[in-house]
Amino acid sequence: MKQLSKIALLTLTIFSCLILPNQASAKIYIDIDSPSFQQFPIAICDLNNISSGSAQTTNIGVALADEIKKYLSMTGIFNILNKKSFLEKMEPGNPDIIEKVYFPDWSLIGADYLVRGNILQKGKQIIVDSRLFDVTRSELIMSKKYSSASDDQKDLAKTIASDILLALTGDEGEFNTKIAFISKNNDSSDIYTIDYDGSNQTKITNHQSLIMSPRWSPDNKYVAFTSFKEGAPKVFIKNLQTGAEKRVSDYEGLNLCGSFSPDGKYLLLTLSKEGIEDIYSLNVETLRLNRLTQSYSIDVSPAWSPNGMQIAFVSNRSGSPQIYVMDADGNNVRRITYEGNYNTSPSWSPRGNRIAYEGRVYGRYQIFSIDTEGNNLIQLTFDNADNESPSWSPSGRQIVYTSKTASRSRICIMNANGLNIRYLNENVNRAVMPVWSSRFKK
Amino acid sequence: MMKNKITMMGILFVALFSLVLFSGCAEKKAIVAEGTAQEQPSAAQDAATLSAAAAQEALKDINFDYDKSNIGTEARVIMKANADILLKNRNFNIIVEGHCDERGTSEYNMALGERRAQESKKYLINLGVDGARMKTISYGEERPLDSRSNEEAWAKNRRAHFLIVQ
Repeated sequence: MKQLSKIALLTLTIFSCLILPNQASAKIYIDIDSPSFQQFPIAICDLNNISSGSAQTTNIGVALADEIKKYLSMTGIFNILNKKSFLEKMEPGNPDIIEKVYFPDWSLIGADYLVRGNILQKGKQIIVDSRLFDVTRSELIMSKKYSSASDDQKDLAKTIASDILLALTGDEGEFNTKIAFISKNNDSSDIYTIDYDGSNQTKITNHQSLIMSPRWSPDNKYVAFTSFKEGAPKVFIKNLQTGAEKRVSDYEGLNLCGSFSPDGKYLLLTLSKEGIEDIYSLNVETLRLNRLTQSYSIDVSPAWSPNGMQIAFVSNRSGSPQIYVMDADGNNVRRITYEGNYNTSPSWSPRGNRIAYEGRVYGRYQIFSIDTEGNNLIQLTFDNADNESPSWSPSGRQIVYTSKTASRSRICIMNANGLNIRYLNENVNRAVMPVWSSRFKK
Repeated sequence: MMKNKITMMGILFVALFSLVLFSGCAEKKAIVAEGTAQEQPSAAQDAATLSAAAAQEALKDINFDYDKSNIGTEARVIMKANADILLKNRNFNIIVEGHCDERGTSEYNMALGERRAQESKKYLINLGVDGARMKTISYGEERPLDSRSNEEAWAKNRRAHFLIVQ
C-alpha cells in the first residue's frame, strides 16, 4: 500500500524513448541462461550535472549513479566497474559529452557496457537524460529521458536500472517485487513483506500465533496462509488492500496452505480430513474442494507450474520424502528426485523448465534445482547452514530462501546458478518461509 | 505405642508393595503373550475413574523414529496403558498432538506430525477407544519439549502427546 502511494506520488514521465530501429524487436544482448554465464562488466558514470545556479554544485549526479549501481548489482548479473578505473576524461557540465564516447578507453578497462547521462535539477523536479552503450560494438543501445516530480532518487534509480536490464536482457527484473516471510518470535509469529531492495519491511498480520506457509495470489492482492490463531491450523486469505481476512479451510485435522493457481481461482491445500494427508484444490470463490491425491502416504507442499497444467508436490510414498509431479487433475504422477532420502519444498520456476527444492546432504539441508523431467540436477548452496524454502523470482533468474544456523535464520537471495548470495534483511533473527511476489504494476 | 504403629504401617506397606509387584508380573506375562518384547508395568490396574488432572498425569507421550510415524515396540506398551486409562475413564475426550524434531522442512513436518497423531489415534481405536472422543492436531516442529539441537532432544521431541479436554 505504502509502495503504491509512493509510486502515485512520484509521477515518472518518460519524454522520449528512442531505441534504434534495427533493435526495436527487443533484442536480447545478454544471454544469462547460457551455461557459461558470468557477470557482465558495466561502467556507470556519475551523471553529468547540467543544472544551473546552486543546484549545479550538488553531488546529485554522483548520488543517483550510486543508487543505479546498487540496484543493478542486486540483479546478480553485473560486475559494476570501479569508477576509479575509468580512463576517459569528461568535461563536467557540458550536456553534449554523454554522446561523445571514446570506446577504446572503455574496452581497455574491460567494460562491455557503458551508462552515461545528464541530470538537471529544477527545484523539486529532476530530469535525467540517459544513454546505454554497447562498448564492444561501439553502439548506442538505449536513449531515454526521465522526469521525476519528487526528489525521491530511489524510485528514479530503480526505474533507470529496470530499463537498462530490460534493454540488455529483454526482462525488467525484480525491482518492483516483494518477498513475504514469517518472522518467528518464540511461540508467536506473523507475516511480513519486504521490498526486493531490503527496504520497506511491513507487518501484514497480527495473529501472534503459530503461522506458516504464506502464498501470494498471482495479482499480489491477497496472501493465503495457515494460522493456529483459533487453536487448530486453518487456512486464511488476507486481502492486502482492505486488510480483511477470510477463513477458507477449517476441516478437522491439518489445513495447510499450498499455492494459488496461475489464474488465481484455485488454492492448493494439504488436508487430513479423511485421516491421511492429501492434496486438494479449493475454489477460492465457492470454497468447493476437489481431491487430487488419494495415496495413503503423506502428500504435501503442492506448487503449481506456471502454465497451470501440472503440480509439483512432496510425497513419502516411496518411503522417504521426494518430489513428484502430476497433471493438474491429479493424474499421471511421476517421481522426479532420486538423489538423497529427503527432498522437500518444491518451487516451480516461472520459466517452467526447472523446480527448486531443498534436499538433505551430509546432515544439512541445501537448495537444489532439477529440470521437470528429473534430469540435470544442480546443487546451489553448499555452506554450513540449513538452506530451506526456495522460491523463484518472477524472472526466474533468482531464488530466495532461508539460511538457518543455530543462532538465527535469515532470508537470502541468490542467482539461479547459486552465485551472488545477498542477505535481504539483517534486523530479523528468525525469518523463515520466504515467498516471492509477482511484479507489482506501476 | 508409637513404635508399634510405625512397625504396623511398615508391614502394611511391604504387603501392598508386593501386591503391586505381583500384579505387575501378571501384566508383563500378558504382554509377552501378545507378542510384544518390551516390559513395563501397565498403569491399567490404577486406571479406574481418575480425575482429569490425574488422568493427564497418567497418559504418557510416545516417541517416534526420525521421519517415521509407525507405533514402535516401546510405544505399543505405553499405548496399551493409555488405552486402558481412556477406556476406564469415559468422562473426557482427548486431543492427540503430533510433534516432530526441528530437522527438515516445517511444512513436511507439519504433515508428518499430523500423520503421527493420526496413527496414534488409529492405534487407540484398534484398542477399543471410541474415535469420536479423539481429535488430532499437528504442531510440526514448532513446539519442541527440548529446544537443544542434539540427538537426545530430537528423540524427545518426536512424539505424540495426549491432551485431555472435557
